[in-house]
Amino acid sequence: MPGHYIDIPAAVGEKSVRVGEGETFTKVAVLDGKAGLPFDHIIAEADSKVDICVIVLPHTDSEASETAGASGASETAVIDIPLTVDLVGEGAEVKLSGIYVCASDSKVKLSTIVRHRVPHCSSDQTFNGIAGGKSHFKFFGHIIVAPDAQKTNAYQSSHNLLLSPEARIDAKPQLEIYADDVKCSHGAAIGQLNEDEQFYLRSRGIPESEAKVLQMISFVAPVISGISDEALREKIHARVESVIRDLAETLQ
Amino acid sequence: MDKNKERDLLNGIEQEEYKEGFVTDIEQQFVPKGLNEEIIRLISRLKEEPDWLLDFRLDAFRRWQKMTPPSWGHLDLPPIDFQDIIYYAAPKKDSERPKEIDPKLEETFEKLGIPIREREALAGVVAVDAVFDSVSVTTTFRKTLEDMGIIFCSFSEAVKNHPDLVRKYLATVVPSADNYYAALNSAVFSDGSFCYIPKGVKCPMALSSYFRINARGTGQFERTLIVADEGASVNYMEGCTAPMRDENQLHAAVVEIIVEKDADVRYSTVQNWYPGDAEGKGGILNLVTKRGICKGSGAHLSWTQVETGSAITWKYPSTILRGDNSSSEFYSVAVTNNYQQADTGTKMIHIGRNTRSRIVSKGISAGHSQNSYRGLVKMLPGAWNARNFSQCDSLLIGSKCGAHTFPDIQNENPTAVVEHEATTSKISEDQLFYCNQRGIGPEDAVGLIVNGYAREVLSRLPMEFAVEATKLLQVSLEGSIG
Repeated sequence: MPGHYIDIPAAVGEKSVRVGEGETFTKVAVLDGKAGLPFDHIIAEADSKVDICVIVLPHTDSEASETAGASGASETAVIDIPLTVDLVGEGAEVKLSGIYVCASDSKVKLSTIVRHRVPHCSSDQTFNGIAGGKSHFKFFGHIIVAPDAQKTNAYQSSHNLLLSPEARIDAKPQLEIYADDVKCSHGAAIGQLNEDEQFYLRSRGIPESEAKVLQMISFVAPVISGISDEALREKIHARVESVIRDLAETLQ
Repeated sequence: MDKNKERDLLNGIEQEEYKEGFVTDIEQQFVPKGLNEEIIRLISRLKEEPDWLLDFRLDAFRRWQKMTPPSWGHLDLPPIDFQDIIYYAAPKKDSERPKEIDPKLEETFEKLGIPIREREALAGVVAVDAVFDSVSVTTTFRKTLEDMGIIFCSFSEAVKNHPDLVRKYLATVVPSADNYYAALNSAVFSDGSFCYIPKGVKCPMALSSYFRINARGTGQFERTLIVADEGASVNYMEGCTAPMRDENQLHAAVVEIIVEKDADVRYSTVQNWYPGDAEGKGGILNLVTKRGICKGSGAHLSWTQVETGSAITWKYPSTILRGDNSSSEFYSVAVTNNYQQADTGTKMIHIGRNTRSRIVSKGISAGHSQNSYRGLVKMLPGAWNARNFSQCDSLLIGSKCGAHTFPDIQNENPTAVVEHEATTSKISEDQLFYCNQRGIGPEDAVGLIVNGYAREVLSRLPMEFAVEATKLLQVSLEGSIG
């Protein structure tokens, strides 16, 4: 009887990036227009380190109109962010993280596939995000551990805030595991701002709207604080904060 | 632990026998092999059914013909030749003593530990509906239950004696063309249990259905309908076994549960169909649709399942939470060994306000088996303050098996909260070491750890079942340490 494991070869495509033995690949990508990631596939070789951080923010006005003008498509086109990572050499370490802030009627789809093909690798994924307005966010995260890829550590979490009655969030975290000596877990949650935290802040004289902003910032902070370049981190923090403040204004 | 010992122990479980694998030699009545409208008419005629039910079957059959089998399961499902199955098999009644149960049948159920004569059991009193191939053999304690207005009988009898109730509720939760296998069941279903608990009645004893496949080349297509009217409560249990054969046999059941306002239904299954031999030959293909609806406010439906048998399990007991403040739980232990495959889980559809659901799924895979959890939690826009928590754990024993988790979480309400957690691991060396160090041998240690791992679910089972389920877990996994 055949097994279920389907060995899709790690084919190199146009948007593949190969991270060679012992090399380090770090990338922070801010996506606020129609352009997606410059790559959709990473091949991590032995002892390589991959660290990718994706920040998805609402379209800036000029680019949004540009999109509509150029393609004739409406603003509600789905922003599709696919990313596949193949861990092909032992000792590879992959960290994927991201935040998204969706407002108005944006539709964002983020899908990651992490394939552990060899033993002794680790992958860690953290995606936190906020959906307001009429936005629709979809998360798809698939972890595959091949037979014999023992001693794999694979972790994934997706925490989401759903802030308006017309917004919608779907999450599909998936684990497909064919080796036994592994530690794999995933967690996904979709909920609201914590009321206890809000009460705590307000009891200390912080107005409700400001309390919400602070909560939202702290919600995405774990991802932002993981950015190693300090200047870039500060810049992104400021940018995200202003986007969150705009979003908070749309909520009563 | 060293490799040789591991191999020995793994071999040990493969040799575990399936003690329910015997065949009862009894004269049976069959309909010819194959599936067409004539066969359906014949089944309907044999069961002396009214026209509306025949129409329901034919309608479902015509829809089924236009459908294709689902392929999204994480399963290697062998092609099923639906023309090569006998759709109806019944033990022949002795024409001289039509009221009595054939002693051979009685012996069969006695051997399986199912009391089909009324008696006080040690663990409490349970009313049993025993189904042998396509017909219900007997239903016990009927009189006692009738006095309280409770109807508990075979589905065929319900069609004869309570046609209004059956018509009112049949296919209201699982429509006849809901999915490929449900449509097939709607066309050819044979027997099953019917249960109606009237308003405000608490059923004084657990009700139980026991399904037995005996005849070669047959399929079993049972249909169960449970209705708990306002404020009623019932504890329902289901068990199943089949003989050892090297062919695959099909079991495509439909279970529908209707829970009215403030009613409470607990549905427990211990599924132990023949799983096939150590090479993956034979075994039951268990393709089942189970669904309940919490219709009124405050309704509660709880599913508990222990799945140890079947070559292939495709089963998603689901709840539609329509009534405000209604709640539902799904507790599952699924064990797969050798070449078994299981794709099982649940769906929780939250429609009403303040609805609550909880999912606890424990998968254990050993040998070359594949064990998947597949679940859907959906919060519709009207599900204000709804809450779900899901915990899905997988335990791997041996390096040739697979454990998978495929949840789908959809939230369309800003006050609803959904949480999902899943982990996959093997029995930790530390735990084993700790046990060994205290003089507990590796086998006992694994038993201890697996039992502890599944405790949360096993403790939800009614007492009569908990003992059986714990034993089953031990038989399925004894010595399977990796």
